[in-house]
Amino acid sequence: MSVKVLLIDDDQDFRVSVRSLLETRGYEVLEAGSGHEGLRQVLEHKPDVILLDVMMETSVEGYGVTHALKYRDEYAEHSHVPIFMLSSIEESPDERFPMSGEVEMIRPDAYLTKPLDIPRFLALLEKAVGGAGRVP
Amino acid sequence: MSEAAAPEMIVVIDDDFAMRLSCSKILSKMGLRVEVFENGARGLEGVAEHKPGLVVVDLKMPGISGLEVISRVHEIDPQIIMVVITGYATIDTAVEAMKSGAYDFLPKPFSPDELRMIINRGLDRRRLALQSQRGEVERALLKRQFVTFVSHQLRTPLVAIHQYLDVLKHLDQTKDDPVRRQEWIDRCLKRTEELQNLISDWLTLARVEGGTLVKERVEVDLKPIVSGILTTYEEMAAAEQVSLETVWPEEPLCVCGDRNCLNVLFDNLITNAIKYNKPGGKATVTGCLSGGEVVIAVADTGVGIPEQYRPFLFDEFFRVKGEGVKRTEGTGLGLHISKRIVSEMGGSIEVESQAGIGSTFRVRLPAWRAPAEDTELGSWE
Repeated sequence: MSVKVLLIDDDQDFRVSVRSLLETRGYEVLEAGSGHEGLRQVLEHKPDVILLDVMMETSVEGYGVTHALKYRDEYAEHSHVPIFMLSSIEESPDERFPMSGEVEMIRPDAYLTKPLDIPRFLALLEKAVGGAGRVP
Repeated sequence: MSEAAAPEMIVVIDDDFAMRLSCSKILSKMGLRVEVFENGARGLEGVAEHKPGLVVVDLKMPGISGLEVISRVHEIDPQIIMVVITGYATIDTAVEAMKSGAYDFLPKPFSPDELRMIINRGLDRRRLALQSQRGEVERALLKRQFVTFVSHQLRTPLVAIHQYLDVLKHLDQTKDDPVRRQEWIDRCLKRTEELQNLISDWLTLARVEGGTLVKERVEVDLKPIVSGILTTYEEMAAAEQVSLETVWPEEPLCVCGDRNCLNVLFDNLITNAIKYNKPGGKATVTGCLSGGEVVIAVADTGVGIPEQYRPFLFDEFFRVKGEGVKRTEGTGLGLHISKRIVSEMGGSIEVESQAGIGSTFRVRLPAWRAPAEDTELGSWE
């Protein structure tokens, strides 16, 4: 059984290329074009890792999704699924929300800049889920 | 403003009992809140506690001097207005006090009117300072948001292109698929085009910052303009399987405006009607003359614009997202520019939309009216 990666990003072209990359490495890829759709797919398909864009419909949508996944009861079963946050803006949550204690609540497991540094991205992903072919 | 409701707090620091009493009476009658203190040390505690908008301080006091009070009050809050009371003998010190940050000074003896005038002037000054400070904070925030947003808009297509190319490079040669490769190259070209359009739209707006897009006001017949645009996009419409139609009267539809701007306006509306349509759909331009206005409606048969997005449709960089919206290469500036053009020409633009049926953008522009004969002859001069 292969590892399921949920890719939440509003740019379809970005999803197309990343999906191909991951599929050739043996991952199963699910796609969502919005935070809302992403949350729905989490419940339906139970992904093993989530790749999450920050700026979608709103400029902080990714943080909203992270917060929901970590703290809303209906996602309790999935609150420990690793989240890789992706953004083309070189700005970590700490910079976005300076001096806010709430940063801890929405800290992703990794923060990656788009376009992805492919070798680093694949290595981090592998580390997070323990290889594409096995579910951790 | 809610804070206007609370009267300003004034702190008076003077070692003279009679002076404290009279200041307190006069200021209270002005509707201000007043706290009085008999020396600098107590006064500074009072300032820290009551956070006044203005402090009246006597320069010559035993203990902490008035000058020192000024600088220590400004350490607490540099926005507090300092008014110095001084005897004639210490005018030089008053000048010194102004140099060290006091707003104004009041030589003893002074009349109640003089005190009231100086306090009011000080409070006005404070309100202005606070307003401009708030304004600066807001402008800085807006600018930061704008920069973040624009850099995101510019980077999004670049990221998509880069990611396609980089993944192509990393894909195992044996897994290379020529069809996919071709598709991706086509997408890269599309996204490059999107970026070019975004930059040119953005430049259009940047160039006219504070100025106007509309440069001339001449008689323009909209029919040939619209026909010309429709001809340009015949091929694009055929590719999208959208048919183009016009419904308008025999006579010309003349407005008073700028030919280039009108071209941009209808180009935006017509390309939108083709792009946001469906195969087998129609893009219809309807024109008529109605009550001194030329009304042009550009209608599509696309998915429609969800109601919650309609208020933002003409905002800079706004783009409708969601289910059923195809990935279309818009800049998010087209409708914003269109609205500006229409407004500058004294017209209006509105949208009607129904889910699954389509959207109609209706432009109303003042109809061209031939100048009265005498002005044409220049007889007014």
